[in-house]
Amino acid sequence: MINRLRVLRAERAWSQQDLAERLEVSRQSVNAIETGRYDPSLPLAFKIADLFGMAIEDIFTNPAKGAE
Amino acid sequence: MKMATAATRRYIRRFMPMMFAYVAVLFACVWAIRHWHPIGLQLFVLSVLPALPIIGAIAVIGLYLVEETDEFLRQQAASCMLFGTGVLLSVATVYGFLVNGGAVEADPELFLWVFPLWCFSWGAAQRVISLRDHLAVRGA
Repeated sequence: MINRLRVLRAERAWSQQDLAERLEVSRQSVNAIETGRYDPSLPLAFKIADLFGMAIEDIFTNPAKGAE
Repeated sequence: MKMATAATRRYIRRFMPMMFAYVAVLFACVWAIRHWHPIGLQLFVLSVLPALPIIGAIAVIGLYLVEETDEFLRQQAASCMLFGTGVLLSVATVYGFLVNGGAVEADPELFLWVFPLWCFSWGAAQRVISLRDHLAVRGA
C-alpha cells in the first residue's frame, strides 16, 4: 500500500530504527511498510496514525482510490 | 541495534536444548539397540525416543509463531514455513511416484530426513527473504 511513512519519518529526522522502537516492531517491519512490501494490520496502522497524530487515511493511500 | 525480538530469543533458547537432546538421545538409543539387542516394547521405546526431541522442536517452532508480536516477522516466518512444507510435499510426491513406478527402491530411512529437509527449505527461504530485505534497506 502506498504511504507517506518515509516522508513523515524524515520530517522528524527519525531513522527506521527510531520509528521501529517507537512502534515496538522490528526495523524490517518499518522498511517493509515504507516500501509497500507489507500492509500493516489495522491495529498497527492505528498505532502508526496515533504516533504521528494523524488519521490512517492521511498516511496510507486507499488502494481503491489509488495515488492522488 | 536490537535485531532479535523477545520471541526470537525465546525460540533460540528453547530450540537449542531440543537439538542437543536429540543428538544425545539418538546416540544413546543407537548404542543401546546395538549393544543390548532389545526386543518387543523395549525396542519400540528405544526406537521412538529420538523422535521426541524433534516433536519438541516442532512445538517450539509453533510457540514462536504464537508468541511473535511483530506481525511482519510472524507472517514472513509462516510464509517460509509454508514454502518448506511445499518443498517437502513435492519431494515426497515425486519420490512416491518413483517408488510406485519401480524406478527406485523404497527406503524407510528416508523418513528420517523429512524434518531436516523441511528445516533446510524453510531456512533457505528465510535466507532469500533476509537478503532481499537487506538489499531493500540499502536501497532505501
